[in-house]
Amino acid sequence: MKRRRRTEILIQGDCSLARSFAKTIVDSYECREIVAPQYGLTMIKMRESAKNSLFYIGEVLVTEAKVEIEKRIGIGIVVGMQDELAKHLAIIDAAYKANLPETAGWKAELIEEEHNIIKQRAKEQAELFETKVRFETMEV
Amino acid sequence: MGYVPVKGGTEAIEASIKRLKYERLKGQEIIAINTIRSTMRGMVDQVMSESSLYSPYLAALSIKQAEGSMEEAVFLMRAHRSTLPRNYYSQTVEAETMLVERRISASFKDIPGGQLLGPTYDYTHRLLDFNLIEENPTENQQWLQNYKQELQHIEPFKELKYFPKVVEHLREEGLFEVYEADNTPPIDITKQNLDFPTSRSARLQVLTRGQTGAVTSLGYASLRGYGQVHPTVGEVRVGSVPIYVEHPNEVEHGAEDEFYIGEIKVTEVESFVPVKVKNENNEDELEFEIGYGICYGQNETKAIAMSILDQCLEHTNSDFPTHDEEFVLLHIDSVESTGFISHLKLPHYVTFQSKLDSIRQVKKGVQKNES
Repeated sequence: MKRRRRTEILIQGDCSLARSFAKTIVDSYECREIVAPQYGLTMIKMRESAKNSLFYIGEVLVTEAKVEIEKRIGIGIVVGMQDELAKHLAIIDAAYKANLPETAGWKAELIEEEHNIIKQRAKEQAELFETKVRFETMEV
Repeated sequence: MGYVPVKGGTEAIEASIKRLKYERLKGQEIIAINTIRSTMRGMVDQVMSESSLYSPYLAALSIKQAEGSMEEAVFLMRAHRSTLPRNYYSQTVEAETMLVERRISASFKDIPGGQLLGPTYDYTHRLLDFNLIEENPTENQQWLQNYKQELQHIEPFKELKYFPKVVEHLREEGLFEVYEADNTPPIDITKQNLDFPTSRSARLQVLTRGQTGAVTSLGYASLRGYGQVHPTVGEVRVGSVPIYVEHPNEVEHGAEDEFYIGEIKVTEVESFVPVKVKNENNEDELEFEIGYGICYGQNETKAIAMSILDQCLEHTNSDFPTHDEEFVLLHIDSVESTGFISHLKLPHYVTFQSKLDSIRQVKKGVQKNES
């Protein structure tokens, strides 16, 4: 599974999934910490819809970690102060970069978690639709 | 008269800082960061927006440290921001990817996808709720449980809904100009001084991090006649947008290889403003333009005011202060304006003595002439 989709699942989903994937790798391979989880900024670039141009809305605090496994460097970046999750994401990223066999077995769990995330969000959205206005035209 | 340099005050300053801590602690109450985060959404959002740093946790900490003073909290956040490395720039965030929790239009009642009120104070009675004085966790828990039960019967949607912009169908009708995507790299005003006339990207960055009160006041001033923009709000939307970044070292970049890093909550506004334009026969014609406003968190008043000022500054006019970009952009930053005003209370002994000397000299001159 490509990085964009799997990071969406691992960050939006239950953080225990990233923890268990990372543990599987750490238990079997040497994992060298290149950059311990540290805080930094990401500048956010946006497109405005009046003239369709770009501008910077501001920065967001992120936690970033880097690890090396089997000579491949993995990066974990996540919004907020989430040291543990950033490190787990870095380990998982390195595992995919090193094409470790364990990663092949993660797909089913990731897809299942993706279903859970969508279901939960779709439920929350449906609940929000209780606040949708139903206009009635009045007789004058 | 000669000037005498002085020093001192160190001990008084130390004692003053102790006194400040005493003021915060003397009530013997401790407010947890998570309590601020959970119960003071408005303040947290405002601090993040004005400091231009999205971090609800740090914003809550700054509010605690500043004892609720907005200007102090924003100052703390800006100072902290300057200590952190900026390692990434995000991929372009498109507002259509917003997972909307509130979306309304003042221009049309029937908008594609409908009007979603979400959580809003708009329709509340502004009466103090004295029940909150005796609020207790058990009752709150019960309320939450009942509310969840009320919603239990609601079936989840089959898929997530993303809303089209209200303006899109007006563009299809030809009532609004369609602009090609302009990918000119934006100016970053945190790296580059503002040069006048400014670029649109610099203006939007200054406006979005402007002090809520200042942006609102100037937007209001424009409506009252100190400007020429009186819009109709086409759309207000509040929701979360996803953030993606490119890998810093990989040579081949594809969207599928980007990192998703999380999401941020924003308020976005498009205001519709009628303007007169000349047609090909040199006759006046009415057309609509869009004023754009956006800010971190849920702060609709600021985003609407920003959309007014955006439109004002698109049409500079020295007859109106709100159409003067130097006037607007150089006076709405919280740290700059509160910093400059509050520096006036710091010692100005030498400059004031110098002014006194001048006045004394002038008065002596006048008396000599009179005699």
